[in-house]
Parts: sequence; structure tokens; C-alpha cells
Amino acid sequence: MIDAINVNELRKNYGTCEVLKGIEFKVKKGEIFALLGINGAGKTTTLEIIEGLRKYDSGTITVNGKIGIQLQSSSLPAHIKPMEAIKLFAKWNKEKIDYEMLKKLGIKEIEKKQYFELSTGQKRRLNLALALVGNPDIIFLDEPTAGLDVEGKLSLHEQIKCLKSEGKTIVLASHDMAEVEALCDRIAILNKGNIIFCGTVSELTENVGRKYFIHIKTELENQTIETNNIEDTLITLLGEFKHKKVKVLDIKVDRGSLEEHFVEIARREIK
Amino acid sequence: MRGFWYGLLLQLKLDIRSKTLLITCYIVPLIFFLLIGGIFISVMPEMKSTLIQSMIVMNISMGAIIGLPPTLAETYGSDIQKVYKANGVPIYLGFVTIFLSTFVHLMISSSVIIILAPLIFKASLPAQLPYFFLGLTMYIIVALGIGGVLGLVVKNRAKLTMVSQLVFLPSIMLSGIMFPIDLLPNFLLIIGRIFPASWGYQLMLDNGFCFENVWYLILILALEVILCSVLLAKQKSK
Repeated sequence: MIDAINVNELRKNYGTCEVLKGIEFKVKKGEIFALLGINGAGKTTTLEIIEGLRKYDSGTITVNGKIGIQLQSSSLPAHIKPMEAIKLFAKWNKEKIDYEMLKKLGIKEIEKKQYFELSTGQKRRLNLALALVGNPDIIFLDEPTAGLDVEGKLSLHEQIKCLKSEGKTIVLASHDMAEVEALCDRIAILNKGNIIFCGTVSELTENVGRKYFIHIKTELENQTIETNNIEDTLITLLGEFKHKKVKVLDIKVDRGSLEEHFVEIARREIK
Repeated sequence: MRGFWYGLLLQLKLDIRSKTLLITCYIVPLIFFLLIGGIFISVMPEMKSTLIQSMIVMNISMGAIIGLPPTLAETYGSDIQKVYKANGVPIYLGFVTIFLSTFVHLMISSSVIIILAPLIFKASLPAQLPYFFLGLTMYIIVALGIGGVLGLVVKNRAKLTMVSQLVFLPSIMLSGIMFPIDLLPNFLLIIGRIFPASWGYQLMLDNGFCFENVWYLILILALEVILCSVLLAKQKSK
């Protein structure tokens, strides 16, 4: 099966600062792929190079399919109405407008408003609609839910899942680990211009070790303990509480979120 | 081509909605025409023969030098151009549609002055209307070129307003539309000749359409075309 995107030895410098140091990754057709990294890691630069919006110094990029782009920071003329922007880009690219898609994104509800009157969530929806105007095979979403409230995030997540179910390939850059964990099939972690991990979320968990988190609520305090061995840690803890005559109110055990694994892997890199 | 025409029609609508061009192309120049025109004619009745030309120079200078740059700066100084690029729209489209749209608005408001001036102030119509309209078209294009360069160079709104005023005020005060330039001291006369407004005014006067009045505007226009092309190419390569 041909990959949707294939990036090889990609390098980019801004002056003397090496932003991308020969990164490599592949995105499979029909998957949701996330680029993760702290601020300044090179996520947006990588995406914008693949999108053709930014020049690069060396390396090869293969993109198999038509692309649609939702930028991290985007703007439109203050007085343009959503349908006017959609028609402008559709007419310029000789594309037919998919009114069904616009209905799903709720563009109909905001069609009479001007761009400056739209809320952040409505602007995001419009930007997504613009990215989908040409019925692209691959959709780039740069921080798609930044600045949205919980309802807006969930609604956008539904739309992204819906796009995946239609067979679209989605590449997103995000800070939001919970979002990435909920949506993505595979992730790549960028750190200081290098890809330090590329694989599925469960592979990342394997990579950092089987780490568990025990959350204990007692009459005195709440504690979270990190461990690789649940049984021994629990026995020790409960023994201590019994010895001190502290009443245990609740115990929860989880495997840790992607965020915690991300922090762990970033910490290792720094060492 | 359908995309281009749609973009142009859309820009005409956006200009009206944005109010900046509505104010600088229609409201202020027309109020100025009605108030100052009346004063001019009552103080100096001989101005009846040049009222249309002077009010039109004022109208065009205001619309092009003060009205156009903020719209361009909004497009090229923000992420709008990035969105255009990401959606396959060439970088020049914004510039061309904004330029043409302002041209249309200025033609309309100038036509309003041409129609109203004889009715309200008994001002004389230009004797050679075809040459007058040629001169008018030429001055609009040159003035829009100045606004175009300003809008592409100065991205900061506050600075842009200041720089636009610095070009607009001497254009108006030293071009001969407010009072005869013969009254100006020599050095102000020379400074006034640097600004295209004085040349545009001469060009629109009766028997004014001649090479002597055209060459400077052609030179400025050529410089504007080069500058705008370079500035747009720079935007593209960013």
C-alpha cells in the first residue's frame, strides 16, 4: 500500500539555527497521524513544509493525494461572510461546493455573520470547511482545537472522526495529549528538530516501560504514586496505612496518559 | 477567470461593508465637495472653471492614499495571505482585486462630483470630456499605485495612518487645488511638483492633456509597477 506521505531526511535551517535535523516519517493512507512536541519543536515548520507553504534546505517529501490545509493561525478579511470565502476558494480552484459537508460543519448557521463576528469555534469550523472545499485526500490540521471550549473540542473531534470514516488521511499537530490519545492511530514526537518517537500510543507506552499510577484517597490526603509493580506497591502502601491507622477512602489504578509518557520521554532526551 | 471576477465583485462588497473605503471614497470627499465647494465658489467665483478638477483630485487622493493602504495592509500584514496561499489563490489576487475595486469606487464618486458640480454650483464641465476622463483614469491609477506601495511597505496600522497623512496633506496643499500655486514660495512649489496630485490636476484641466503633463505620471507609474512587483514577490517568497 502506498503511503499518503513519506518524509525523508528533511532539514531546515533558520539562519544558523537548525530547526529540523533530517527527520523521517511516513503517514499511512486513511490514518490519523499526529505530530507532537513542545513549543518550538518544529511541528508547524514540518507541516508547512509538507503543505508547500515553506521552503526547506534538503530532503525529500512525497505526498500522494490532494491536500487540504487548516492553518494554526489563520485569518480572513474582517467583513467576509463564511459562504463568500468558501465560494471564492471553490471558484478559484474550479471545485464544486459540497453543501452536505457544510451542513455537517454547521456553516449554514453562521452564513449571515461576518468573519469578525464569529467566535473562535466558528472560525475553526469555517477554516476546516475551507480546508475541505476541494474534497482533499489528505487533511492537515495545525492545532485544530486550540482556544476552543470543551463542547467545541468534542464537536471538532466528532468531525475529524467522521472524516477518517470517509477514508481521509489526517495529519494533525497538537499540544493536547488527551486529544491525540483519543483521535490518533499513530504519533511522532518532535524534540529539538529530531523525531524521538514514531509509532502507536501503545508502542509509546511500551517504549517508556509499563508504568502505572496509583491514586489513593485517605482521610488525611490524596496521593499519586508511580510504579512498575502494582501488587507490591499496593501491599506496602496498605500495610503502612494500617500500621498508622489511617483510613483509606478510595484507590484507583491507571496506566498513565499519553501526556505522562510524553513528559517521560522528553525528560529522557534532556538527560 | 470566474474566480477572479467573483473575487473582484466580492471585494467591491467588502469595501462598502468595511466602511474605511466608504468613508474615504464617498462620504468625506463628497461632504468636502459640498462644503468647501460652496465656499470656494462664493469667495472666488472664477474657480467655477476648475472646481470639478480640484474636488476630484481631493477625492482621488483621499481614497487612494488614505483609503486603500489599510485594506492592503490587512491582507498582506496578516495571516490572510497565508490562507489564500494555502487555498491555492495566487498572492497577487488580493492586490489586484483591491486595486480594481478602489478604482471603480473612485470612478463612481468622481462621476458624482461631475454630475453634481454644475447642478449645485453652476461649475463648468470640462471642455474636452474624453481627454478629461483619460487624465482622470491616469491620475486614479497613479494615486492607487502610491496607496499600493504604502499598503505593502507599512504593515503597522498606526504608522500607516501617519505615513499616509504625510503623503496626502502635501499632495492636497501644494498641488494648486486649494489655492493657486503661483502664491507659493519657490521651494514649496518644487516640493508640490514631487507629488503626482499637482500633475494629475494639470492633466485634467482644459487643454492640459499633453506630454508635458503626462511624462512625470508615466515615470511614477513605472516606478510603482516595479516596486509593487518586487514587494509582492518578496511576500510570496516569505
